[in-house]
Amino acid sequence: MGIDSVTAVILAAGEGRRLAPLTNRRPKPMVPVANRPLLEHVIEAITATAIDRIVLVVGYEQERIRNHFGDGDDWGVTIEYVEQSTQLGTGHAVLQAEPVVDGPFVVLNGDRIVDPAVVSHVRDRAIDDDLPAMTVTTAANPRQYGVVTLDGDRVTDIDEKPEGTVETNQINAGVYAFSPAVFDAIRETHVAGELAITATLNDLAATETLSAVRYDGRWLDVSNLWDLLTVNAALIGDSGASNADGPAFGDSVTVADDAALAGNVRVGPNVTIGGSTAVGSNATIEAGAVVENAVIFPDAVIGAGAVVRDAIVAGNARIGPNATVAGGPATVVVGDAVHRGVELGGVVGDNATVGSGATLADGAIVGDDVTADAGVVIDGRVESGAVVRRG
Amino acid sequence: MCGISGYIGEGIAPADGESAAGDGAAGDGGGFARVGDIVHEGLHNLEYRGYDSAGVALVGEASGLTVAKRSGEVDNLTVPDVADAALGIGHTRWSTHGPPTDENAHPHTDCVGDIAVVHNGIVENHEALKAELSDHEFTSDTDTEVIPHLIEEELAAASDAGDLLDAVRAVESRLEGSYAICAVREDDDRIVVARRGSPLVLGHDEDATFVASDVTAFLEHTRDATYLEDGDVASLSAEGVEVYADGELVDRETETVTWEADAAEKGGYEHYMRKEIHEQPESLRQTIAGRLDVDAGDADLDTSFPPGFLADLEEIQIVACGTSNYAGRYAAQLFEDLSGVRATVETASEYEFGAGRSADRTLVVAVTQSGETADTLGAIRRANAAGARTFAVTNTLGSTVTREVDDTAFIRAGPEIGVAATKTFASQVATLAMLAVAIGRERGALAAADARPVLEGLRDLPGAVQQVLDNEDAVREAATEYGDSEAFFFVGRQLGVPVALEGALKLKEISYDHAEGFAAGELKHGPLALVTPETPVLAVLTEGGRADETMNNVTEAQTRGAPAIGCVSAGDKYATLDVSLPVPDVGVVEPLVANVYLQLFAYHVANDKGRSIDKPRNLAKSVTVE
Repeated sequence: MGIDSVTAVILAAGEGRRLAPLTNRRPKPMVPVANRPLLEHVIEAITATAIDRIVLVVGYEQERIRNHFGDGDDWGVTIEYVEQSTQLGTGHAVLQAEPVVDGPFVVLNGDRIVDPAVVSHVRDRAIDDDLPAMTVTTAANPRQYGVVTLDGDRVTDIDEKPEGTVETNQINAGVYAFSPAVFDAIRETHVAGELAITATLNDLAATETLSAVRYDGRWLDVSNLWDLLTVNAALIGDSGASNADGPAFGDSVTVADDAALAGNVRVGPNVTIGGSTAVGSNATIEAGAVVENAVIFPDAVIGAGAVVRDAIVAGNARIGPNATVAGGPATVVVGDAVHRGVELGGVVGDNATVGSGATLADGAIVGDDVTADAGVVIDGRVESGAVVRRG
Repeated sequence: MCGISGYIGEGIAPADGESAAGDGAAGDGGGFARVGDIVHEGLHNLEYRGYDSAGVALVGEASGLTVAKRSGEVDNLTVPDVADAALGIGHTRWSTHGPPTDENAHPHTDCVGDIAVVHNGIVENHEALKAELSDHEFTSDTDTEVIPHLIEEELAAASDAGDLLDAVRAVESRLEGSYAICAVREDDDRIVVARRGSPLVLGHDEDATFVASDVTAFLEHTRDATYLEDGDVASLSAEGVEVYADGELVDRETETVTWEADAAEKGGYEHYMRKEIHEQPESLRQTIAGRLDVDAGDADLDTSFPPGFLADLEEIQIVACGTSNYAGRYAAQLFEDLSGVRATVETASEYEFGAGRSADRTLVVAVTQSGETADTLGAIRRANAAGARTFAVTNTLGSTVTREVDDTAFIRAGPEIGVAATKTFASQVATLAMLAVAIGRERGALAAADARPVLEGLRDLPGAVQQVLDNEDAVREAATEYGDSEAFFFVGRQLGVPVALEGALKLKEISYDHAEGFAAGELKHGPLALVTPETPVLAVLTEGGRADETMNNVTEAQTRGAPAIGCVSAGDKYATLDVSLPVPDVGVVEPLVANVYLQLFAYHVANDKGRSIDKPRNLAKSVTVE
């Protein structure tokens, strides 16, 4: 079986509700880190191997994905699309690729960044017809993931987000190699609720050989909003000083070496752009503003004198003059879970406007289309479309 | 982006099976496709990759190497009639750096004209390589041209006549950058190809082989394809294909392509038009990149007017056709408001430099997406003859109009394939608005403080358009609800008038429905007689469009039973509207954002009716006849 015939299937149909408000109008794979969507980092890990055909399983807000990646020419690969119109789980998503896959294939998540090496390893399994295979890596907090029990190089069990203590820190890294036989296996998997690919993998582990591919390279997962800042910092750090070809600013502007600025960013005088910061296309940082450890999406405007630290400012959002996102450890509530001591100054959703002199308390999350008046103090979570007035 | 197409074989007999292949009189067989035709057809299928110049090279045993190339679309290229051609390569180009002249079109040849090369990608070290080829004669500005000359050098250094495959392998190892290359040589019955970084795929048919940037080039002939890998060099001959990697003969798998041609070109969209509507945030970012200085209250289009010209300027005349004409009408109001100059818009085909004007105090601005629109070129020639200063606003580097005017501003919208202009309208208006600010500032007619809100609106335009796109479902519902109506009336005032005209044009172009756009105040002067419950009214009710007055006119139509759809400034409310579509606060460019709703409305109405959206009947993208 030749290398040419291995297709990569990327699961990019999900919504990623834990990243709301960033995912209210874009799918999670399109959330940018280091000024490029998560999915683009995944696709580049694939193109660095010899795989040149990619099938994207898309669903939620799929226009954003189709529009960005087109037919893949800009990445030197062929990209095709299949639609998962209702999100019924990762197994169901893989099943959507059946009509366009007729040989061994690898499966990746569109929102999890891995090294090309792991894609190559898994692809080699596909070529050698050593299938099915899944990647196993280690994590400091295995209970957040699928904990994998191994017998030699054989997977015997996957326990999704187990409760209580676990005996291993080995987890499912989410990169798989399958033959088309997996489609029947998915159909034969009986589960209540969502059809997760891990349920099928558990069935396969019980009935035939499911081999493990060990992987100890980079593995960047954005589960929560604050992960975006750490993943962004890691990727910018990797690429080194990325502004060599970027815009030139005046002497009064300070830009850290580990800041990544898109080519058409406008930066006013006396601006400080600190480390671990990404500033997207057509964004504006007005005079005297300080931006540090932040992800600024395209079209956003940071007003004069504003301070934005440990923060995420989404597309076309406005941070008014002298507004403050001071940054620092915070307590953030996501769904029913309370996360303490996370490094998140604040999040401002798409098209939201934070008035001049307003302050975001640590960990504040401002929904998209929110209008917050001048001088307000925002604490906790503000729902999308809300108006925050002084009072 | 560029496209490569190549073919080696005996031509293709018509589908009815009349066997014409193989004999010398093949060309006379009815419907028989010869090598040149097949390469040309492949280029046609790749036209989405670029269409501002094209060329082919054909090789026959007796005829030798024949090259034909020229600027313009693939259709403009006349493929030479070479009856004995056994193989051919071709190229379609979209220039982003350097103009699309005949000289810069591919294929490129060596000094003698024995070797021809087409190339997609960038040879990053071409300057250094060119320096080593000081005794060679170069005829173009391209990076590509070093390749045939390097091949020539390799062949000359070889002991006998040299071998093309060896030469390409040697040259390939010296190139830096990304590329896909096809090379042919007189008296050689092979096509030698190489790939690194840019796509290249082989197609296998009975006794024939295709090569292309994308399988869409040959999908109608074969679905058996081999994707080359980076570093591969392959030799295509009548005997078949040999692929080499690191000098070793390797076996590359053949796959069967199962998907449809159309989907590949459009990145999974059903139509280019929808793709291009959705590209607008990004294309607008390109349009304004590096051109806005909000702090200084100025815009920089890199124009150079003679000293004193703008200060003495009396009139700006805009000449344009169709959608570009409506972009011009939008801009004319901005020129008067922001530049403090009288501005008029002429239908290009009707334009004459009329009496009562002084030519040296008139600026004639041509607005044309392609830069090749015959009516607009005619108008510019008349303006030049009258002695007026001329200016072009266009999307196409090196197009004819840019050679005929004194100055040009590019709208940077990228290639637009759908016949119905969408993203180029938005980028035209944005570019003209920046020009209006720049002229107003230079003339001293516009204070920085008054320019700033306009510049902020332009800066915020991409984000505002994205919000409209995020709201596509609401437009789709309105299209389904009202799409089967008898006629559609589009109304607006002030800057809403050109948008109403453009909205109506878009709908009639692609859905073939009766649609009319006019100034809202005109409704009561006639068109109201046509209004019934079966004629929805679509209104621009935003800033820059005197929304309240427009709404009064909409209400007149509503009292006759017409449903009303309004694009309304965010925060404003007109409770009686049947559908209200919010437009973000971006000042004088709000009507331009409203236009995106009208584009989506036209698209969904036409799509519901199954129309040929990208190629409407009777229409062509670039109208190069008068």
